[in-house]
Amino acid sequence: MRRVSLPRLAAVFTWIGLSSLGGGRSAYFHEALVRRRGWIDHDEFVQDFTLSQVLPGPNFSNLAVVLGYRLAGLAGAVWGLLAIVLPGALILLALSVLYVRGVFGATATGSMRGMSAAVVGLVLVTTLRIMRGSLRGGRAALVAALTFAGVGPLRLPTIGVVLVMTAASFWLLRAEPTPSLDRPEAERA
Amino acid sequence: MADVALLTWTFLWLSFLCVGGGLGVIPEMERQSVAIHHWLTAREFVDGYTLSQLTPGPSMLVAVFVGYRAHGLPGSLLAGLAMFLPTSILAVVISHHWRRWRTRPWAAATERALLPVGIGLMAGGVYTLARTAVHDGVTVALALATALVMAGDRVPPVLAVLAAGGVGWFLSG
Repeated sequence: MRRVSLPRLAAVFTWIGLSSLGGGRSAYFHEALVRRRGWIDHDEFVQDFTLSQVLPGPNFSNLAVVLGYRLAGLAGAVWGLLAIVLPGALILLALSVLYVRGVFGATATGSMRGMSAAVVGLVLVTTLRIMRGSLRGGRAALVAALTFAGVGPLRLPTIGVVLVMTAASFWLLRAEPTPSLDRPEAERA
Repeated sequence: MADVALLTWTFLWLSFLCVGGGLGVIPEMERQSVAIHHWLTAREFVDGYTLSQLTPGPSMLVAVFVGYRAHGLPGSLLAGLAMFLPTSILAVVISHHWRRWRTRPWAAATERALLPVGIGLMAGGVYTLARTAVHDGVTVALALATALVMAGDRVPPVLAVLAAGGVGWFLSG
């Protein structure tokens, strides 16, 4: 059951967490575990990637948990999660303290404005890539567009939109072939 | 005290709304944190998301930022735990069974149905961030320039974001 020792798993996952700065998060896992080390094969990765997307919850931590579980059982899942989340959490906490105390000050306000505009550009490209990689057919596009309109411009509660649109999606896509989620490269952030 | 509990509870159920990517939960997280509970302003929320993008690890660490802004250290700890712990436990449980389940028709249908909803939520997340972060010629230009650079796939995202920060600092100084 345990394919990799826990210290080794923790070290590799911590490094993936730290180097996944700003984007390409799942791609780092693929590179490190499949291509570089051969701990799991491509199909296993795709299975775990798909599962981490379908499961509720932040999918980067989901992927760490699912891969950790595959590699070293329950302990692997725990270590995988801690290794991915903890370093970033501590860094962000330090930044939050500085931000709330106003240490960034007026000089930093301009750069925060610039950076947050850039982040919009960044997430836009990520979203378009995933759309191109896995959104197939007019009905799926309609479901995505209506979901977007509901939670975006209309500012409706997400729970209601998800419930209604998931039901509509089950019905609209009942006869379609299973979508291709087997392109982890398409997910870049 | 009651508000700390409310914060924890809110991030707990928000974590279960992250379907198909953390970005998808941004519209509701912003709505809850800004408009409903007034834990921070829309501007602070966007700044927090930006900081989470500059930080290694999942972008849903923005929960730590909102928690800290609302209730200091205990707030950040509880919001962070609520965001990552329950869904991770669920991930282990489902992961244990998924190898048997995934070939069943209902599992394939669920995957198929959730995919476009997740993509719509992500696009909603882009919209929510843009509503606050992109508001004049400079920010529109920076967002578009970053999108073009990222589409080229040559520049690491952090560098592009930091460069835009330099431009913003230069123009405001």
